[in-house]
Amino acid sequence: MTNMIEILTSDYGVHLAILVSLYLILAQSLNLTVGLGQLFNLAHVASYAVGAYATALLSTEHSASFTVCVAVSISLCAAFATLLGAISLRLTTDYFAIGTLAFSAVVSALLINWKSVTHGVLGIPGIPRPELLGIDFYDNGNFLALIGIFAVITQAILYCLYNSPCGRSLRALAEFERAAASLGKNTRRTRNIAFCVSSAFAGLAGSFFSYYLNYIDPSSFGLGEMVFILTIVIVGSPGSFGGVIGATLFLVLLPEPLRFLDISSTYLGPMRQLLHALILFGVVWWKRDKLFPQRRTV
Amino acid sequence: MLELSDIFVSFRSAHVLNGISCSVRGGETVGVIGPNGSGKTTLFNCISGFAPCRKGTITLRGERIDHLEPYLRAQRGLGRVFQNFGIFREMSLLENIQLALESRRDTSAGFLPWSKRTRETIERSMTFLKDVGLDGKAREKASSLSGGQMRLLEIVRTLALGSDLFLLDEPTAGVSPRMKEDIAQSIRNLQSMGKTVLIIEHDITFIQKFCDRIVVLEEGRVVLDDTPERVRSDERLQEIYFGRDDRSARP
Repeated sequence: MTNMIEILTSDYGVHLAILVSLYLILAQSLNLTVGLGQLFNLAHVASYAVGAYATALLSTEHSASFTVCVAVSISLCAAFATLLGAISLRLTTDYFAIGTLAFSAVVSALLINWKSVTHGVLGIPGIPRPELLGIDFYDNGNFLALIGIFAVITQAILYCLYNSPCGRSLRALAEFERAAASLGKNTRRTRNIAFCVSSAFAGLAGSFFSYYLNYIDPSSFGLGEMVFILTIVIVGSPGSFGGVIGATLFLVLLPEPLRFLDISSTYLGPMRQLLHALILFGVVWWKRDKLFPQRRTV
Repeated sequence: MLELSDIFVSFRSAHVLNGISCSVRGGETVGVIGPNGSGKTTLFNCISGFAPCRKGTITLRGERIDHLEPYLRAQRGLGRVFQNFGIFREMSLLENIQLALESRRDTSAGFLPWSKRTRETIERSMTFLKDVGLDGKAREKASSLSGGQMRLLEIVRTLALGSDLFLLDEPTAGVSPRMKEDIAQSIRNLQSMGKTVLIIEHDITFIQKFCDRIVVLEEGRVVLDDTPERVRSDERLQEIYFGRDDRSARP
């Protein structure tokens, strides 16, 4: 017991809490599109990258303040989603997934090849921690408080959105689009809003990711990361608010005990991925009827 | 109220509606019958905006609506009840009604779940559920309802939307005989409220009780458009459903 408390209050515990907060923002916002809207959105990690790079570039090259960086990251991601939504939301089901995956690949390629801006694979080092109200955010405890507040606000906003008229419309059109339209719901607009809000929160998470690691490179925003966030949503049951919170805690913390086993780090990384893959496979198999319901048409 | 003029609908090479013209006055109840494949549901889809018309015009209260998207037609008072249940089964009964109320211009829906406006919408939804005796199940998932109850919920939901023209696509399909009477009662309620109702139905004895007129479709054309009594006694109806009597043509 005392060991547990020691771990939780140590730097390692704080690091884990920061990771949990970060993934809470990322996964719950993805839940809005994948869970509530049943839109198989694979561009979430691209929004995350856009947010991270916006903050990294603004704070290193223009010494922009925390407020400006976060505001720009969020707005840029919302704008990015509006553009992407205008194109990909015309597609449905699997085609939408392929469309968003393609967009993700484009962003990934840009991050690697647009060297004059993104510094390519070398990434952007030296991202300063936020400066706010004279608090030292180089102290991880303080940084945890900051990201924790934002994570709680995100959960609160998304909880209200899930239960708001917009969230209800989104769930309705995911279940039976024509019936939703015949109830006066503008299906395209509702999907666009969901896509925009989801992307904006991914941008916020990206911004915090940059601030926390002080260094970013394209490898953090690959397909593997997307699959991990998607795993959280699927394990937590798509559309379930509490389920995604539980799954975030479970999946972020689950591989941690592996660190304490006497295993070389060469095997540790692949073992974690294998564990996630097994969990994902198990959940998809177990809940296959619920995850892939038949869409209703007239 | 509703004016259809020379409506043509085709899917690739299949011509489903071939020049349908028909007008429905406000407060009237019109039955639409015809054999399978005669274009009844396509006609409803065309009016609600789910099947684009190749030619022809649709006017609702004097305004052309054939170029409008389905949700805009719904906002103009067109209510649709689907053949295969248009309710949202994964949602509670209450949420089904809330969805309809939140689309109304006179309802300002609240963002916060505990806000006064949200509570008001919930209270109003409960009164609609009470009217059909489903208030006891308000918080249950709609998938727990029987076929008849689902249909009642869908009709009352369309009423909550504030529609004044109801398109009911086979409201008694998949419904027990006992619930049929409840559905007939809810259709009578719509009539007493002065709503205009179009009903697709196979059971002519069921609809002739409350229809002012019956329109008979065959191969995407209006064959008969008259009072229920005259339509029932018309020889052409027998021919459409049972085929022509060819005995005289035999050698």
